[in-house]
Amino acid sequence: MPEALAPTSRSHLVHRLAGRLEVRMLGLALVVFAGLSLASPYFLRSNNLLNLLDQSVVTGITSVGMTFVILTGGIDLSVGSVLGLTSVLMGLAFGKLGIAGGIAVALLSGGAIGLFSGMLVAYFGLASFVVTLGVMAIGRSLAYICSGATSISNIPPAINDLVYTPILGVPSNVATLLVIYVLAGLYLSFTKGGRTIYAIGSNQEAARAAGLSVLFYSVLPYVVSGALAAAAGVLLSAQVMSIDPLAGTALELDAIAAVVIGGASLYGGRGSILGTLIGVLIMVMIRNGLNLLGVNPFWQGSAIGGIIIAAVLVERLVSTRVRG
Amino acid sequence: MPAPPAPLLVAQGIEKTFDQTRALAGASVEVSAGEVHGLLGANGAGKSTLSRVISGHVRRDRGTLAWRGAALDPRSPRDALSAGIAMVMQETTLAPDLSVLENIFLPELAQPGRLRPALQRQRARDILESLGQHAALPLGSEVRRLSAAQRQLVEIAKALAVDATLIIFDEPTASLSPGEVERLFDVMTRLRAAGRALVFVSHRLEEVFAVTDRVTVMREGRTVGGSLPTASLSQSDIVRLMVGQDLGRIYAERPAVHAAGEPVLEVRHLCAPPRVRDVSFTLHRGEILGLGGLVGAGRSETLEALFGLRPHSGGEIRLHGKAFSPRRPADAIRAGIGFVPEDRRLQSIVPDFSVRENLLLGHLSAYRGFGLGYATRDARVAELLRLLGLPNERLLDANMLNFSGGMQQKIIIARWLLLDPRVLLLDEPTKGVDIVTRSSIYAMLQEVADRGAAVLVVSSDFEELLRLCSRIAVVSDGATIAEMESAVLDEAKLTLFAAPRSSMAANARLLADLSEETGGAAFWALRDGGRLFCLNRVGGTGVSDPGFVAGATPRFEETRIPAALRSAPGTFVAEPDGQRSTLMAQVHSHRGHDLGWIGLTVPGVTTPDAATIVRRVQDAITSNI
Repeated sequence: MPEALAPTSRSHLVHRLAGRLEVRMLGLALVVFAGLSLASPYFLRSNNLLNLLDQSVVTGITSVGMTFVILTGGIDLSVGSVLGLTSVLMGLAFGKLGIAGGIAVALLSGGAIGLFSGMLVAYFGLASFVVTLGVMAIGRSLAYICSGATSISNIPPAINDLVYTPILGVPSNVATLLVIYVLAGLYLSFTKGGRTIYAIGSNQEAARAAGLSVLFYSVLPYVVSGALAAAAGVLLSAQVMSIDPLAGTALELDAIAAVVIGGASLYGGRGSILGTLIGVLIMVMIRNGLNLLGVNPFWQGSAIGGIIIAAVLVERLVSTRVRG
Repeated sequence: MPAPPAPLLVAQGIEKTFDQTRALAGASVEVSAGEVHGLLGANGAGKSTLSRVISGHVRRDRGTLAWRGAALDPRSPRDALSAGIAMVMQETTLAPDLSVLENIFLPELAQPGRLRPALQRQRARDILESLGQHAALPLGSEVRRLSAAQRQLVEIAKALAVDATLIIFDEPTASLSPGEVERLFDVMTRLRAAGRALVFVSHRLEEVFAVTDRVTVMREGRTVGGSLPTASLSQSDIVRLMVGQDLGRIYAERPAVHAAGEPVLEVRHLCAPPRVRDVSFTLHRGEILGLGGLVGAGRSETLEALFGLRPHSGGEIRLHGKAFSPRRPADAIRAGIGFVPEDRRLQSIVPDFSVRENLLLGHLSAYRGFGLGYATRDARVAELLRLLGLPNERLLDANMLNFSGGMQQKIIIARWLLLDPRVLLLDEPTKGVDIVTRSSIYAMLQEVADRGAAVLVVSSDFEELLRLCSRIAVVSDGATIAEMESAVLDEAKLTLFAAPRSSMAANARLLADLSEETGGAAFWALRDGGRLFCLNRVGGTGVSDPGFVAGATPRFEETRIPAALRSAPGTFVAEPDGQRSTLMAQVHSHRGHDLGWIGLTVPGVTTPDAATIVRRVQDAITSNI
């Protein structure tokens, strides 16, 4: 065919670039890992590595929900205060409903808050930034009110088992993190719903004209994000054996950073769960490493911020070359 | 009006190519002070591009511009403005949140120095006064709150605030009511009297005759008639120039009219505000039906309503004889309808998906399972690839955007063929597609129809419609005015039918009144070359049936009133058999331009007074418009 695809070589280039984004981030993660191993004798010790994964759990789980939302072209600023509020609600429910009941309350209320945000965004066309900014403020304020502005520390001790019972030699909170990543990755790549989420973020009009359920799958990511923020709250509470209404403050920034470092586009349609996992690990390693090296903790923000900006810059350079 | 000796603006041999599309291929125009110059052409003839080159919005690739005898090279609208050339855009370019006054003097923000609101206010009043519109615009109001006509007035005032000598109006009447059009024409007349030059870009022939002094006609990016005095032309002359003389080649490839299958999609009086007012047609199994008309006539919106992308407020859709009212595209897809929208990039392509996933997007929405089910379509995908010359399997993983427009379009069409649709709707299927791929898309659609699907094509390219479709329904200003075999049509007739007529509604009322009072048939038609082009007909049964319906294009002798059609107008002429008598009256707008003919056929030979009716018809037309 004369009109068929003149620029074959260019499509190879596109392929390489698109493939390289995650590869590049994985490379960066390995460089950070190797650098820290050399710089600090403590970094490679097995209890530090476990510690590293342990520290990834809260940001990691929240970032999965954030990935869903960002893939549709939205953003969820409320995850931190959803974590705080749902933890407080769980703490209040423990007395009457027991451990399982308390966890169910947390997950359901997290999902319900996400449903609320998602409906406002999808049905009324409000900007997700504004809606979730509002929900963020409301959530934090309700967390204070419900908890009476103090920590809840009378938590059933058995819940601590949730975090540290080993499953196949891995602490159960880390196992939960890995299971969530595997399920989310499979969902986004191999199901109708997952591909619809990508299609909506990439070109909502085309998704609509092709008959995909744009409304449903625009709301779903916010529900997932709310529920996963609550799940992160459950594990955090079990870890520290105390529920603080302030818990999860600024968590949304870490989650967005992880997703962006992982190569997702804030315009939607591009990104992956694997990329997000790498993003989370890079951030946690840098935090952990700077601690081990005894660097003033105030430098952490600069390091993380620099990486975010570099990641977005790379994304822009790549996407302008790909999309022309 | 005699043209002044030295033209104000001379554009010669202008060429412009966008991506691969040649928009201008040697366009020329000459405009003089104190004239309204019409710039005409069919859709895509390059009128708007030429205007934008002159006004600095688009840079030309080649050609010369001379302004007051000196070379002009506008690199931006600002350059053109400072020379004195302004454009009143189709979609206005105002800042909606600023006030009328701020918008009028927006270009002054680019000047150094302090703004002087009091002085501006006075100047704005003077400008509006000079246009006779001092009461029409509240200067302090936000532009957001204004009507389309008021916004246009702001644009005109904005042009006058920089003292533009040449003002280009790009399709200025597209969103105006008839009364507002009259007001605009008054303003234009005043501007002309003040010695300014105006360019009036339009494809509405009535308006061109109403307001222009000279016209330049464009076709396929070239000027085919330069600076012709409007008074020397008829509507048919202009249409012939717009369409071209070489009508012969169209007929060679006319599709065979095969016996129509059973009706698949019946649309009656479909109404989907604001654009679609009254659309009716019947689409049969195995046929390709064209929906012809001008851009903005409501064709795309009709397709969107049929596909559930746009709510419809009235009318009836029947699919396979059963009432069908899609509320979401998923409803339409489930019923076996596929839709290829007009704007590929915006409405079809998912840019982050591979060719494979773009191809399977329709499948994804029809698929009932939780997973993807891509494997269930593998065989059909391979078959389609072979049949349609699509990229081979290795390329399925490539990015859509690396392919030519034609290949992208084939992939989008194949997206629906994968679902074996019973009805396929296509909006401008060959827009931005090169000529080679065009014919393969035509072949593809023909094959789809031959296999028993019903295909509905919207196109602004009349040549394409005539080549591709066995029948054509013409849509004008949101209503179907004719549905006929494409064999009786050519581009010229199609253009005549499609031309929007602001007088349509008023004329319909007049016809109804005449028919009711006399018990006969009243019709409105154009006459050209021994043929009648019936635009509307009301009433008339039995003996008073003139033998044609709205949208018909019979030769005189094929009607039941040949004697009257051949006779001089102005009196009732009885047919030789004495069954019916017909009065033909030519009607003109109050500006004196030709609106065609009003006919009245009554039974028998005893007739009402012809002179009274002729006077009454002319009065009604004049006061209505």
